[in-house]
Amino acid sequence: MRWLHLLTAAVLPFTALGAKKSASSDRFSDFRTKSLSTGALKLDDASYAKLTKSPRDYSVAVLLTALETRFGCTLCREFQPEWDLLSKSWVKGDKDAATRTVFGTLDFVDGKGTFQSLMLQTAPVLLFFPPTTGPNAKVDAQPQRFDFTSGPQPAERIHDWISRQLPADVAKPRIVRPINYVKIITITTAVLGVITFITVAAPYIVPILQNRNLWAALSLIAVLLFTSGHMFNHIRKTPYVAGDGKGGIAYFAGGFSNQFGLESQIVAAVYGVLSFAAISLALKVPRIANAKVQQFAVFLWSAVMLCTYSYLLSIFRMKNGGYTFKLPPF
Amino acid sequence: MSVQMEDNQLLKQATSPKTRGLLRVIILALIAGAAVSSRLFSVIRFESIIHEFDPWFNFRATKYLVQHGFYSFWDWFDDRTWHPLGRVTGGTLYPGLMVTSGVIYHLLRALALPVDIRNICVLLAPAFSGLTALATYLLTSEMVTSPSAGLLAAAFMGIAPGYISRSVAGSYDNEAIAIFLLVFTFYLWIKAVKLGSVFYGALTALFYGYMVSAWGGYVFITNLLPLHAFVLICMGRYSPRLYVSYTSWYALGTLASMQIPFVGFLPIRSSEHMSALGVFGLLQLVAFVDYVRAQIPNKQFQTLLRALVLLVFVVAFGGLVLLTVTGVIAPWTGRFYSLWDTGYAKIHIPIIASVSEHQPTAWPAFFFDLNMLIWLFPAGVYMCFKRLTDEQVFVVIYAVLASYFAGVMVRLMLTLTPIVCVASAMAFSQILDTYLDARKPKVPAKEEEGADVAKVAAAAVLPEGLRSTRGPVIGIYSYASKLTVVGASLVYLLLFVMHCTWVTSNAYSSPSVVLASRLPDGSQHIIDDYREAYQWLRQNTPNDAKIMSWWDYGYQIGGMADRPTLVDNNTWNNTHIATVGKAMSSREEVSYPIMRQHEVDYVLVVFGGLLGYSGDDINKFLWMVRIAEGIWPDEVKERDFFTARGEYRVDDEATPTMKNSLMYKMSYYNYNKLFPAGQAQDRVRQARLPAQGPELSTIEEAFTSENWIIRIYKVKDLDNFGRDHQSATAFDKGTKKKRGSARRKGPKTLRVE
Repeated sequence: MRWLHLLTAAVLPFTALGAKKSASSDRFSDFRTKSLSTGALKLDDASYAKLTKSPRDYSVAVLLTALETRFGCTLCREFQPEWDLLSKSWVKGDKDAATRTVFGTLDFVDGKGTFQSLMLQTAPVLLFFPPTTGPNAKVDAQPQRFDFTSGPQPAERIHDWISRQLPADVAKPRIVRPINYVKIITITTAVLGVITFITVAAPYIVPILQNRNLWAALSLIAVLLFTSGHMFNHIRKTPYVAGDGKGGIAYFAGGFSNQFGLESQIVAAVYGVLSFAAISLALKVPRIANAKVQQFAVFLWSAVMLCTYSYLLSIFRMKNGGYTFKLPPF
Repeated sequence: MSVQMEDNQLLKQATSPKTRGLLRVIILALIAGAAVSSRLFSVIRFESIIHEFDPWFNFRATKYLVQHGFYSFWDWFDDRTWHPLGRVTGGTLYPGLMVTSGVIYHLLRALALPVDIRNICVLLAPAFSGLTALATYLLTSEMVTSPSAGLLAAAFMGIAPGYISRSVAGSYDNEAIAIFLLVFTFYLWIKAVKLGSVFYGALTALFYGYMVSAWGGYVFITNLLPLHAFVLICMGRYSPRLYVSYTSWYALGTLASMQIPFVGFLPIRSSEHMSALGVFGLLQLVAFVDYVRAQIPNKQFQTLLRALVLLVFVVAFGGLVLLTVTGVIAPWTGRFYSLWDTGYAKIHIPIIASVSEHQPTAWPAFFFDLNMLIWLFPAGVYMCFKRLTDEQVFVVIYAVLASYFAGVMVRLMLTLTPIVCVASAMAFSQILDTYLDARKPKVPAKEEEGADVAKVAAAAVLPEGLRSTRGPVIGIYSYASKLTVVGASLVYLLLFVMHCTWVTSNAYSSPSVVLASRLPDGSQHIIDDYREAYQWLRQNTPNDAKIMSWWDYGYQIGGMADRPTLVDNNTWNNTHIATVGKAMSSREEVSYPIMRQHEVDYVLVVFGGLLGYSGDDINKFLWMVRIAEGIWPDEVKERDFFTARGEYRVDDEATPTMKNSLMYKMSYYNYNKLFPAGQAQDRVRQARLPAQGPELSTIEEAFTSENWIIRIYKVKDLDNFGRDHQSATAFDKGTKKKRGSARRKGPKTLRVE
């Protein structure tokens, strides 16, 4: 009994091949010759059904997309050049059709029926249909689906994904990115322009560049920005301010390792005021010739320093619940 | 002598230079004492114990060094980590730290002081912090003439939490000695630039070599010194002094750094080191031009020469770029590259992004670690622009760069702290020196006309002076102002000391191996689950039992339990870590073959649900999933661990993938039996758990620590009857409930997962 089973199982694929070979291989070469010029085939409902009809001995990668502006699918439009690049270089690179893969694009305008039958609410969606017959056939004939949940993907990522669906021993064509001549020319012109500008304007720029006050200001701004957590805002993309849940605005985020954009700017300003008070006390005040004015300046800057520092401590107590130290005013 | 002439007038009258020198030594000794003692909280509170994760590896390596000698340490191949790959430990670590403690150990033994190697390791960081304070004093004294600035900087450095965070007793990590080496190398470099001395240049190279052997952060020096030289050249401040000091440092320092096996040929083959090489070449060119200019006065020829230099520079730069593109020179390694392109690590190297100390720094962290120094720091930087000597240029560059790095990565606060201490001490001492001067200035009313002329002349000669320092210094008139400012400064300083002590005591002195909690009556209760579990492993498992755990605990298992691990904190092999991540995040049927293939005997998980310990594996779980997904995107998907509404849950609404993952099962196995039915509560995630707990078939519970923080499971051997484990478990259960199993006996159904 078992022998018979095995035998039948072994013969079965051949019969299937024999029966369907002529029709489906014709279909593949048809689509392939069409796609040689365009890369991905432009499909509509009918050709989509024909292309993905099972049984098939080739694989199909179809991008279901909505390119027209009225659908407002920016992701579709962002991904489209990458998709074209991928399909074009795949078809070109795959000279003897070793991977037996056809690429197609189905726009929502041409394929409303398909979108409905697949119950698609979002675009773009990339479907991969494995072959149902032939040596690389898969038991599970359901198409694999690639969702663009993490934003637009580079062609390389999709290439990897498709390559994983295909058998490992087949050589996959590489992605060939065309050389962007416009970019090269633009950059060269820009660089040359900048060099020319610098040579011409050098007599005017150099004194500015050698100005010590300018550099002092630049360094201080950089230091204040970085020490008040600007890079945190930049990397984490923190909101500038947020509501406090009662209709008002929360200027300070709760929690020790969390902050808002405005909050870090307030802190930078506080640091700046404190530093300026320290600079004034150390450098400016001793240079005031008038005794009365000097006395006033000392008191003023000391008071500013005390109040601001006290305010800073009060903010910090807000951020760090267990903090115990405080200075008088706040 | 001129330094002391400007010194505090009051002191000068009362004391001789010798007395002042003695006073300074005493003050420095006291500062070093304070620095050491403020780092001893953890030893006093707990015991002399190695902290956290990485120190355990360093400790283990040091023990190996002391036991087997230097040469076998150099060639050490460790087959007890990264099973079954092993690790060429001798060639992939920075040996400076271990060798330092080994030398101290042997030195003390030679002096007939047999100190345990563990105590040397525990106390190495505090001891070196005393030296760091001294080095900061030396560095600051090079920057300004006032000696009080140096002493203040030393005191700041001694107790600033930003440095204490990595150097408390027991924190036996590379940074423990590296910060001292960093500051001291900078001091020697400044000295070399000032004097133009080959001797100091060579010493800089020597300590640079030591630094390379101690910490990967040496790259900071490798890039900062060339940048300093480059900026000086751009400012037109090229001098033979610069040439001598830079070339002697670069030539000797590069040779020294190449002696470390882990560094090897990197200094000539990787992008991080190319700026040093480039500036070296540039200096040769500039020196050549300088020399020729002195010899040939022809104007046209000089223009030609300058053009030639520019051409050579551009060609050399292009060559470097070409070599990098073609791959002869390695491009920036991920860790360094992620400092510039801050989004890079999150996409490409999740292992780096997953470490908490690689996160960007929010402002409270800066204030927490530096307190008032953080706002004195810009003032000090500003003061550097007043005279802007060569060494003050260094302060400015260092300040800007280090603030950027500290903003991008929390752990780089460590490199920022020294310069913050130096700069803010400069500002603070300027204030103190001005307001502590007891003399009353004379009113310069009568020479108004003359002063004006002088001012105009001075402005004509020195147009680039700072705006705020144009006028002549007069001094402070009234005692009231002096008293106000000095009094306020004193209050701020006291507050600073209290802040530092508070931070050190509360935040940085916990060994994290031992947890402390307060009982209702206020007494301290020690939670010692980690050591309890590691001790259990040590005593109850065979010497070569392989333990699988997430990589965080690899070093601790190696150090405390002395058992082979699959992955550890070295993280050199991403695929291996992803394998463990896959085993943890997949179903048992998938995990079991992986564990069998890696000969895993025990699996260790950390679970904080009972105690409310938030650093447990379920909270780290998403990183395991992400890292595994990076290698097997088809088999592990992060999306599957979130509910349809995008929440990460562990209760009834957890996704099936989550509930079936090995990690979830191991964490919550039998957990509901602690509570009345249906009441099981996870105190970390504030979630009520399903009434029906998870069931395990391929592994069995072997040990659970007192507070359930560590749970260890034994991987079952293959079933005796050749069944798979699921059906074996089902069969075992079935024999207990006859009726249930009878009903289950029907036609065989195909298991569809």
